[in-house]
Amino acid sequence: MGDLAPCIPYPCRDTAGSRRGRAVIQFDKVSKHYDGGHEALSQLSFTIPTGEMAFVTGHSGAGKSTLLKLLGVIERPSHGAITMDGQNLAKVRGRGIPKLRQRIGMVFQDHRLLMDRSVFANVELPLAIAGIARVERGRRVRAALEKVGLLSYERQLPATLSTGEQQRVGIARAIVGRPSLLIADEPTGNLDPQLAVEIMGLFAEFQQVGTTVLIASHDLPLIKRMRKRVVVLDHGRLVADLAAEEVL
Amino acid sequence: MAAADVRRDAETPPRNEASHTRRVSSWREHHGWSAGASLRRLAARPLGSLLTIAVMGLALALPLAFYLLLGNVQQLGKALGQDQAINVFLQPDQAASQAQLLAKQLGDRSDVASVAIKTPQQGLDELAKLQGFSGALDALEQNPLPFVLMVQPKPGLDAPTVERLVSDLREMHSVAQVQDSGTWRQRLDALLGVGDRVVIALALMLALAALLVVGNTVRVDIASRHEEIGVLLLVGASGAFVRRPYLYAGIWYGLFSGILAALLALAIEFALSGPVARLSQAYDGKLHLGGLPLWLLAVVPLAAAVLGWLGARLVSAWQLRKAV
Repeated sequence: MGDLAPCIPYPCRDTAGSRRGRAVIQFDKVSKHYDGGHEALSQLSFTIPTGEMAFVTGHSGAGKSTLLKLLGVIERPSHGAITMDGQNLAKVRGRGIPKLRQRIGMVFQDHRLLMDRSVFANVELPLAIAGIARVERGRRVRAALEKVGLLSYERQLPATLSTGEQQRVGIARAIVGRPSLLIADEPTGNLDPQLAVEIMGLFAEFQQVGTTVLIASHDLPLIKRMRKRVVVLDHGRLVADLAAEEVL
Repeated sequence: MAAADVRRDAETPPRNEASHTRRVSSWREHHGWSAGASLRRLAARPLGSLLTIAVMGLALALPLAFYLLLGNVQQLGKALGQDQAINVFLQPDQAASQAQLLAKQLGDRSDVASVAIKTPQQGLDELAKLQGFSGALDALEQNPLPFVLMVQPKPGLDAPTVERLVSDLREMHSVAQVQDSGTWRQRLDALLGVGDRVVIALALMLALAALLVVGNTVRVDIASRHEEIGVLLLVGASGAFVRRPYLYAGIWYGLFSGILAALLALAIEFALSGPVARLSQAYDGKLHLGGLPLWLLAVVPLAAAVLGWLGARLVSAWQLRKAV
């Protein structure tokens, strides 16, 4: 992990090949106001380099989920710019949105699995959408399921799995499309501590192979245990940006 | 999955990983899947699907039934019109040679099918056959009846053309009187013209009703699957990808209801065949009432499928705009 340790401030040292050192995500004075005047994010500026794993934390309503929604173009910023690999997300429109989302793997606290389709079909979705051939899809889905330890469950329906297993199916679906960015919103919120550690271990493995990982979580003990960069929000404002070595 | 595999996977740009051919193949595969999945969804709720198809089928069958009725009334009008020859009574002083010359002249006209001559004696014999006339005719010293030309207009002529023919006959020097059934034919043509418009208006209105039925069914379907749609959009599905199964559902609804409408129309045609045969017999078999043309029966399901697709397309575009 030493070579891949995140470095603050940006730009970090290039220790993992040519892809590192380039800002994959950049928030530049981003604000988000909802109808009724509620300010979910205020003048938020930070950068996450390629291949970094970072946590976004804060109390409930701090703006963690809003931040991830802005990255997934589920919401639009009211002010400021968010760029991903130099692409301004605020300007992505129409057919550009699904293309962008195909580059992002999303993991949700409530898994968002299709309960009437098998585990295999759920994980296969991003590949079918991306137009990957059937044989290649099968290979990749099985590789992803093997990675999360669910290869033998491929024919089962998600409802027959435990919460932790369902979350792992969600992770397999998020990584099967080889995203450059993996975002997760409270991925361990419904899991017991042991399972939560296992899931976080999976995210760390993806980060080790070059995927940028951004996780919203309010589980401070778990965050401390992971020893990764932590972005702390409070009422939509950035109150701390801690490098891995600063996390105690 | 080995870490090296994952690294290789991660370093491959996703947008370039499938060739154009593969994308087309995958696109076709998704069309096949969407068609099958939408059909299975219809089969999964048979009562609801059958009701939708029945409502649409009845709506589409109604204009077909009117079309059938109108077509047969037109045929009936033509058939009756054929029996209604124009009787041209010549001046009493006209000789047989003059009657034959006039008959030849009229027979050469493009709007005349045939001309038959009824001599005064034939006219008298006909009258003699009528009950109560024989005694009166015996009292006559000479035959007062003129030559009569029975002019049969060409079949398929419209009312104004027949009217022109009658007018020409009336203006002929040797003609005393012309008896024509043009008035009722004109009225029938006018009524059929109104009927044509009614059928078109009815077809348009009921097609709109069928469109709304499909649209509403697909709207309910989309609303019940909004979570699935949300997931698909979040994992990068395009609007077209998400819409596809619903468009196929619209096509299936339309196709099946079109087939039902065609079958209902055939059933109506079959039900009418008995009375029509009796009517035809009453006219010595000269009356041939028609059924719906085969091309129309083939076009109705296809047109209904397009209608179903259109309804689904309009509603799904509107519904998905509200999705993530």
